[in-house]
Amino acid sequence: MANELPIFNVSDLLASLNQTLEYAYPAVDVEGEVASFKVNQGKFVFFDLKDASGSVGCFMTVWQLRMPIEDGMKVIVRATPKLTAWGKFSLTIQSIRPSGEGSIKKSYELLKAKLDSEGLFSPDRKRTLPPLPAHIAVISSTQAAGYADFITIINERWGGLTIEVAHTQVQGDGAADQMIRALEYFNSQQSLPEVIVLIRGGGSADDLAAFNDETLVRAIAASRVPTVVGVGHEIDETLADFVADVRAATPSNAAQIIVPDKRELVQQARHAVRLVAIKAEQAVDESTLLARQHMERAFRRMSERHLLHEQQLGTSRGKLSAYDPTAVLRRGYAIVRGSAEIGGLLTIDRAKDILTAEVTHVETR
Amino acid sequence: MSKQDKTIQEKMRELDALVAWFDGEEFNLEEAMGVYKKAEALAESIEKELAEYKNEIIVLKKKFDQV
Repeated sequence: MANELPIFNVSDLLASLNQTLEYAYPAVDVEGEVASFKVNQGKFVFFDLKDASGSVGCFMTVWQLRMPIEDGMKVIVRATPKLTAWGKFSLTIQSIRPSGEGSIKKSYELLKAKLDSEGLFSPDRKRTLPPLPAHIAVISSTQAAGYADFITIINERWGGLTIEVAHTQVQGDGAADQMIRALEYFNSQQSLPEVIVLIRGGGSADDLAAFNDETLVRAIAASRVPTVVGVGHEIDETLADFVADVRAATPSNAAQIIVPDKRELVQQARHAVRLVAIKAEQAVDESTLLARQHMERAFRRMSERHLLHEQQLGTSRGKLSAYDPTAVLRRGYAIVRGSAEIGGLLTIDRAKDILTAEVTHVETR
Repeated sequence: MSKQDKTIQEKMRELDALVAWFDGEEFNLEEAMGVYKKAEALAESIEKELAEYKNEIIVLKKKFDQV
């Protein structure tokens, strides 16, 4: 019989249609607005994706939900179209992300509030970085400008480091998962790096969306190794920034934070030598001055003593001269010795001569 | 921390200690010149080593795009 068509049973038809759908649309990206969002049994997520004239049911597991979603939010889903066993057409979601500035911001704020309430951004959780890590792990795209900036700055600032780089996507679908795997890889190594740094250059809010992924943010929080996140420009902020132990404004800034500048160290060493030279010179000057002061003091003391002795000598001399009999003689007095009786001989000491005289008269007073 | 970096760190600490020696109680004029020369040599050594150090950058072959 011509034009005879195969006869399917229902299950085979559904399987065949699903096979055709899978062949024609292994994955589709669909943009629409979320409606009737609900989570069943804490595991299964159902919602409708709609636009002005159409609506399609969507299904996913709660673990695939990487950002908060709520009704009215505009999203882009990557999904596989399928017919259910009951013949209902639906999209099985592989990934979902907010679309449009309003929805991205809304989702971001919801997740930020949720993680903040859990204490993930608390300053108490922040660990300090080692002062000079010798083993650094980098998670970035090696093609990214931010990565090149980081390597340039770190090479300028310090040497002798081992830098292990995990090349991952830093934007788009799969980026967050790749960065999570890289984090897990570094955290599972026997020889742990001393710091893990996630870097990416600037971009639109959509480009940086991977750094607002809830699972990635939680993986950063769970890292055994202290983390630094340097994403985008100074004005950009992501949830990965907030959860990191240290937030760098840019990839270049991350390099500046992680290692000291050897040029500054050289300056420090030179300054130390200048300081030592100055201190040595000061010490010599001070010692010389001290020696001179001691000398002057000793000389002054010696002079004082000399003067004192001279004064004492003068006084003694004065006293002595008062007792000097010759001084009395010079004033015209004489010393008379001998027998003071008539006929007796007297010796008369005068200043200029000594006389011998005979006593011719004695009169008692 | 690598052996080389540790050496530089140690040298910097030693240099700081030499500077501090001049303000400490152990200071004496006889040793001052010797300490100064030691500090000068240390600083030169630090500068030389820092200039020679290169980083080793290893881009892992491991792929992270698959589980």
